[in-house]
Amino acid sequence: MASSQSEDREIDITTSIEPGSDITWVRTGSEQELDLPSSPSSSGYAGEGGGSTSATTGSLIEIEHEEEIEQEQMRIQNQIDEISISDSNSSWIPGKRHQDEDDGSISWRKRKKHFFILSNSGKPIYSRYGDEHKLAGFSATLQAIVSFVENGGDSVKLVRAGKHQVVFLVKGPIYLVCISSTEEPYESLRGQLELIYGQMLVILTKSINKCFERNSKFDMTPLLGGTDTVFSSLIHSFSWNPATFLHAYTCLPLSYATRQAAGAVLQDTADSGVLFATLMCRHKVISLVGAQKASLHPDDMLLLANFVMSSESFRTSESFSPVCLPRYNPSAFLYAYIHYFDDDTYLMLLTTNSDAFYHLKDCRLRIEMVLLKSNVLSEVQRSLLDGGMHVEDLPPIPQSGTSHLGQHTLPSDSPERFKEVNHVIGGPAGLWHFIYRSIYLDQYVSSEFSSSISTRQQQKRLCRAYQKLFTSMHDKGIGPHKTQFRRDENYVLLCWVTQDFELYAAFDPLADKALAIKTCNRVCQWIKDVENEIFLLGASPFSW
Amino acid sequence: MGCGSSFPDRDSGQLGRPNSENGGGQDAKNLRVKLVLLGDSGVGKSCIVLRFVRGQFDPTSKVTVGASFLSQTIALQDSTTVKFEIWDTAGQERYAALAPLYYRGAAVAVIVYDITSPESFSKAQYWVKELQKHGSPDIVMALVGNKADLHEKREVAVQDGMDYSEKNGMFFIETSAKTADNINELFEDMVNYATSRLPYDVLAV
Ligand SMILES: Nc1nc2c(ncn2[C@@H]2O[C@H](COP(=O)(O)OP(=O)(O)OP(=O)(O)O)[C@@H](O)[C@H]2O)c(=O)[nH]1
Ligand SMILES: [Mg+2]
Repeated sequence: MASSQSEDREIDITTSIEPGSDITWVRTGSEQELDLPSSPSSSGYAGEGGGSTSATTGSLIEIEHEEEIEQEQMRIQNQIDEISISDSNSSWIPGKRHQDEDDGSISWRKRKKHFFILSNSGKPIYSRYGDEHKLAGFSATLQAIVSFVENGGDSVKLVRAGKHQVVFLVKGPIYLVCISSTEEPYESLRGQLELIYGQMLVILTKSINKCFERNSKFDMTPLLGGTDTVFSSLIHSFSWNPATFLHAYTCLPLSYATRQAAGAVLQDTADSGVLFATLMCRHKVISLVGAQKASLHPDDMLLLANFVMSSESFRTSESFSPVCLPRYNPSAFLYAYIHYFDDDTYLMLLTTNSDAFYHLKDCRLRIEMVLLKSNVLSEVQRSLLDGGMHVEDLPPIPQSGTSHLGQHTLPSDSPERFKEVNHVIGGPAGLWHFIYRSIYLDQYVSSEFSSSISTRQQQKRLCRAYQKLFTSMHDKGIGPHKTQFRRDENYVLLCWVTQDFELYAAFDPLADKALAIKTCNRVCQWIKDVENEIFLLGASPFSW
Repeated sequence: MGCGSSFPDRDSGQLGRPNSENGGGQDAKNLRVKLVLLGDSGVGKSCIVLRFVRGQFDPTSKVTVGASFLSQTIALQDSTTVKFEIWDTAGQERYAALAPLYYRGAAVAVIVYDITSPESFSKAQYWVKELQKHGSPDIVMALVGNKADLHEKREVAVQDGMDYSEKNGMFFIETSAKTADNINELFEDMVNYATSRLPYDVLAV
């Protein structure tokens, strides 16, 4: 049951929840130990999490000692963050912008977040803005900083200059640099550089290092020809896709039977010599299977899905392309058969065999037949229309696991639903949004954005706030927190971390704290009730 | 329009397509042609294939990743049906080493350059040499000068293409995926050219 990601995790809280008994919180990061009585209202279901490997509910009621951080600092961040509103509300188009700029242009200097890849000899490889070749002088400067520090036997990680952070990541002969004035935490920016490096490996594998061994002045830019959109769409996803910092993947909500049907036919394929078979809808998983003991890391999934979705040519016809999965094996190419069934739904079959195309094509035909016969593709389209979990649909006090996604036929006289809606928008108790991450499954579910977080700008800000929360909850130095409660003028943020799950929730800034906590319990129960539909259970190759 | 072909058009009439594969029965009138397109990135390989297979031209560039597989069945005048199975490869440098994966099983290799780009013409010559060295000795090769509609920007003379292809025993044609000029002709004539050079049963289904 050891997850492939366990070595990366920094959580060492132990939480034992026994049915109807007290909850013991053991904080290993400090000396405190809190014994909290569980609320009577939670005892009905608090114990169910014990042996379950999937969504687990506990209780967050009546915890009085969680840290409340009314963060002045965060407010400042939210004020200066993203003054440039060039892309607000407009739909985002991938590709490199501002190609004409270089480090002499004022507009280039004003960009809030730069990403660079360069070689250890100072040759530019990639730049988010501007033409790499015009940035040769600038790259040489960055290279000089790294080598100056490295010559002293140290490595440079972070440089602060006023409101700018310069974050460095050295990967053998390749340097990655982020210059940001967004006030995202260092750990987040570093994680983003790791992903950019991973994306480069997806395209080229680690064997590019050999080119630098042969010729330290090697120019790598031609090898990345035509991949601007792959990187720009990844960088764009840093501001909207929680998978980029949660290191978990998310599923398209589907009935259990529908997902099973898809999983079964993929499993047949995996048994015929395919390493991984994944059926995806945009960046969400419909089903996926792995051969024998092969496991697919959520970061690899993220990078692979980004690669496929940002490469337009895959949409025109079935394709066969080498790809590398950095967490699986950074040194070797796999071969991916890629086919779009419609605008949103695509199949990826990965194999180690470069001659497998015709076999995979046959597999696809068989898969397609089954998907059509069992209506999987039309169910997928319906799910896309319906969306996932809407905070407005949060069911009232937990019942006996009978609710279904989007089918809450609340009695029209249900007082529960209206009593608590003391805010016009969002869900009960001013709930605006939540993310739930299941530790065992390596999966998360994120609610749809309520109308109070409808613009791209607002969503980006919330994503960054979650990211910050995630970083602080996983900070080794401070020790793991179990809960956090923050209030600023944008929202109340509540975070709750247990051994089994992490819950991040955003409320109206005026939300009542006790009510918010209660609502989080309801969210957890809701997730448990619908886990069959929102998660891929059982066959997950992540949980071998 | 200066679209020349070193293999003069015979009276190729209108083609009914797409056509069902088994229209002709078992009399070896059904051919299957595995064809691979090679050439520098941006010369228009994907545009040529999409013009041939779907009758469309999309001017927005969609750089190919790995290789795309498409098929198209046409009927020739003598009611022979030909099913083309086409590998449209990526011209980006990083995929060059993978080309054998796609040309290994091919009966026909179409090597494309852009008549406005001498570099792409050199790259085409590289591919010819590569196939002569590592390809199947039976492979039939065509040299295609694409973007013939851009004649005012022409930098590779028709004669240069013709001379090079003649020297290397290749079929030659200039095309425009944009105007559809010579696109169907390329594929039809390739079949005639290939059947004249290969034993018929190599291509028969
Ligand atoms: N004027 C003109 N432009 C063309 C023609 N064919 C292609 N193009 C343009 O050339 C560009 C590249 O065409 P593609 O078909 O994508 O090139 P490719 O050879 O497939 O490139 P890779 O997939 O990178 O190997 C496109 O933007 C087309 O608009 C043509 O016949 N005439
Ligand atoms: Mg192409």
